Amino acid sequence: MTHETTKITRRGALAGAAAVAGLAALPASAQANKRIVVGTWGGDYSRLLAKNIETPLLAPKGWEIVKDEAGDPPRRAKMKAEQTLRRGTSDIQGLSAANMFEMNEAGILETIDYSKIPNAVNLLPDMKYAYGVGHIYSGKVVLYNPKLTAKPTGFADTLDPKHGNKLGIIDIQYQYTMMAAGLASGGSMKNYEPGKERLLACRKAGARIYPTNEALAAALKNEEIALCIMWKARAVQWQNAGINVETIAPKEGVPLYISGFAMPKNAPNKEGAYAYLDAMLAPSAQENFAIDMGYNPTVKNAKVAADLQKRIGFTPEEERRLVDLDYGYLASNDTAFKDWWDKTLKG
Amino acid sequence: MTAATARLIALEERGGSRLTAAALIGPATILVALGMLLPLAILFRYSLNEFIPTKKQMVEAVTYANYVKFFTDAYYTNILIRTLRVASLVTAICLVMAFPLAYVLARTQSRHKNLLIMLVVLPLFVGNAVRAAGWMTLFGSKGFINSTLMALGLIDQPLEIMFTEAAVIIGITAVNLPFMVLSLQSVIEGIDRNVEEAAFSLGASPLWTFIRVLWPLALPGVIAGSILTFILGMNAYATPVLLGGPKFQMMGPLVYGQFAGQSNWPFGGAISFILMTATLVLTVAANLLVQRRYRR
Repeated sequence: MTHETTKITRRGALAGAAAVAGLAALPASAQANKRIVVGTWGGDYSRLLAKNIETPLLAPKGWEIVKDEAGDPPRRAKMKAEQTLRRGTSDIQGLSAANMFEMNEAGILETIDYSKIPNAVNLLPDMKYAYGVGHIYSGKVVLYNPKLTAKPTGFADTLDPKHGNKLGIIDIQYQYTMMAAGLASGGSMKNYEPGKERLLACRKAGARIYPTNEALAAALKNEEIALCIMWKARAVQWQNAGINVETIAPKEGVPLYISGFAMPKNAPNKEGAYAYLDAMLAPSAQENFAIDMGYNPTVKNAKVAADLQKRIGFTPEEERRLVDLDYGYLASNDTAFKDWWDKTLKG
Repeated sequence: MTAATARLIALEERGGSRLTAAALIGPATILVALGMLLPLAILFRYSLNEFIPTKKQMVEAVTYANYVKFFTDAYYTNILIRTLRVASLVTAICLVMAFPLAYVLARTQSRHKNLLIMLVVLPLFVGNAVRAAGWMTLFGSKGFINSTLMALGLIDQPLEIMFTEAAVIIGITAVNLPFMVLSLQSVIEGIDRNVEEAAFSLGASPLWTFIRVLWPLALPGVIAGSILTFILGMNAYATPVLLGGPKFQMMGPLVYGQFAGQSNWPFGGAISFILMTATLVLTVAANLLVQRRYRR
């Protein structure tokens, strides 16, 4: 083909390509303020966020959701690394209450303006933080296999050397394990220290330490262990998966596990972040999370079927024992706790 | 000859070839240098900062306290020693296992040679984590090995294989083996078969031929493969985490834990530099030693 037979010259083609690229960029910039970048754990949680919040509640209003999926440690590291940037790369981040506290202490999180979240009027008081909003909650309970061990009464009865190598402990849950051991040995939410002796005794008696929740679930399933402490919601998921476990709400208190969302100060699209926070508190979204994941709704107006409520929730008597963490105590001692856990308990 | 070529030749004659070469490798070198050295410089600066544990915050400072902390705490030095031990063992095992395989691959006349090489490379198509998951189904207390041994009546209590150093060594060896095989195979292929035959015809036994002829000639491949395997072993992450379990610590996971888990960037930075330096020094030292030994 020669220049005589075609009208498309190289220069012309380049100009055309540039024009096309320019046009393609136009809608992108017009849509930019309708894009919400959500930092979240991957897997089921992310899938359920899409199923129960994003697709039914945000997409119809024109919001486009982009997910940054990773465990919370790398996402927190990223938030810290981006702290000095004028514009961060995420609008909203899924974090546990303890992590939200820590991120806020580091000056990373935006103070939430609850007037921009209409659904927050129904938010349970415990789930409302100045720097973040609780999305789901559960409590730390005792899980036991009724075939292998008698029904325990609480943390003291569970974190006990008498169980030998039938007691399972999760490595990444060192904070809650030390807390539970503390409560079992006369400590409090402001003092986990008394629990250390107890944990060392359990370890000496052969307690098994598993790296993750999933590894522990496998050990429960193949009856390598008979009991452990875990979120009640996970117990429900594991029961659904056919693992033979029952739960009891410990007599010493049921420490709360709250997972929520917070907004970095440098979030590029704060309007989008507020829209997300509002949608996640909608009763329909909250009800579906209870069904799909076994966590309790954080709003008063979500209706959970009585039989499900019985499995995932707590009786009024148990509810009185629900106890929130002292996040300040936890954050300021966390490095020391991890040190002790790694060097003394596991060492 | 076009004018341009003539000009190029003239340039070369004036010693311009060096300039041309510099211009050609310049951009890539600058890119790599900036992309690698700049982050390293920042990381090194971080490693001299202070960390306030109660607030989990990094504070600007110039202190070598993080390095002192590492070398004065037996917990951390043991992790370094363990990492060195695992990486060295893995390298040695890989070398022993890979040499015969590489030799066969290099010398085979089979028309399926490419297929055989593909088979060696095939494991690399599967991620480390997935392969570790495969090992977990073998090693578990109700895994394939234990259930087979128990069914055969050879043991009555399951063996503890998961979460041990042995499991990690097996796992990393499996990951690194293809690198060693390929490094060795390419070098052995370049060794003239006649050299071995000459040794045989002069009365050397196969073992003697290996020691005096094959091994010294294959040394560049041995060094390349060992360096590659050793570095990969030192920096292993997924395998020690998944097969080593919570009580088994190596340097890679330790760095991650300090950065991501504890937000302790200064100490994480210091550990990274200690790991990098240890790897570099040992690699260079081993290289020099081996080369000196076989210089004759």
